[in-house]
Amino acid sequence: MTEQFVSLLQGPLFILPLNVAAFLFGLQLYRRSGTALLHPIVGASALVAAVLWSLDIDYTDYQDASGLLYALLGPAVVALAIPLKQNLGIIRRAGWPLAVTLVVGAVLAPVVAIVIALLAGAARPVLLALAGKAVTTPIALAVADKIHAAQSLTVGIVVFSGVVAAVLGPALLRWLGIEDHRILGFALGINAHAIGTARALEISALCGAFAALAMGLCGALTALALPLLTGAGA
Amino acid sequence: MSAPRETLHWLSGAAILAACSLAGRLLSERLALPVPGSVVGMLLLLAGLLLYGGVPRGLALVSSQLLRLLALLFLPAAVGVFFLRDLDAGDWLALLAATTIGTLLSFTLCALLLKKLLSNAELRERRQGDD
Repeated sequence: MTEQFVSLLQGPLFILPLNVAAFLFGLQLYRRSGTALLHPIVGASALVAAVLWSLDIDYTDYQDASGLLYALLGPAVVALAIPLKQNLGIIRRAGWPLAVTLVVGAVLAPVVAIVIALLAGAARPVLLALAGKAVTTPIALAVADKIHAAQSLTVGIVVFSGVVAAVLGPALLRWLGIEDHRILGFALGINAHAIGTARALEISALCGAFAALAMGLCGALTALALPLLTGAGA
Repeated sequence: MSAPRETLHWLSGAAILAACSLAGRLLSERLALPVPGSVVGMLLLLAGLLLYGGVPRGLALVSSQLLRLLALLFLPAAVGVFFLRDLDAGDWLALLAATTIGTLLSFTLCALLLKKLLSNAELRERRQGDD
């Protein structure tokens, strides 16, 4: 009886509803609080971790039982092509300043973080996980898989970077005297991906469009360049 | 618009996403590309949409639904943060510094660079307009 109960707890029949419930909880918490600090993933992952701990369920068992969600990540990355296509017209109007900033930003974001981590004496797994810092999570996960970085660490870093930039970024630019929503949106898209894009959409539609554009292009660029740089193909 | 036709649109959208995802994965594996298969699939779809000249309604619907659920899809990976064992306190501190300071630094530099480039471009346009 108890054995059956344990295998039920480790199976998709319990784990998938748990994931959905935790996601809805995280979403509610985020909406009620109204702060980017509590991005839905923060509340949701804390709740799941608490349940796994209290019921003594192994993380690897939980991962196996969540296979359906992992399987949907691929199509979700493909779906990013749609907002990219819808915003591509903007780049023709603002032209090469956007292209230059995109390339510089896509390189700068991970390099600055890796240099700081190196100076602070971080271990190799940390450095690898930081490499995917500036891309939206589903792409970062695929890249992490390719360059053999720890997926969990990568997600944590991506979400945390996004929260930092989304919370402090707009105030920082106002302090620097930059009021252009195109600039704010683009910087948010490169450095805070989906979280920054959500924040940008709250500021204005123009800001949101630039953020979505920067996020999509930055993700594609990093996904193309990073595995080549780390030599994972060999 | 009747419900069965809506469903058909939705299914065709889902089929396009699944097909691109599969094609991307196969291409990446067969050609031993260093790029993740899903990203190859995204580029395939983007190329297809540019040729087609628009976004089919069903595809737009499925995609926006899927993207709204993104946080749910990477929840299992995120939960892993609570189960990391092989990092010591120094690593965590380095990580915290790198993400916080690094993000704010690169965010600021990006904004300043784009501001400079945009004002240069606008200046040049105005000068050309005067000629």
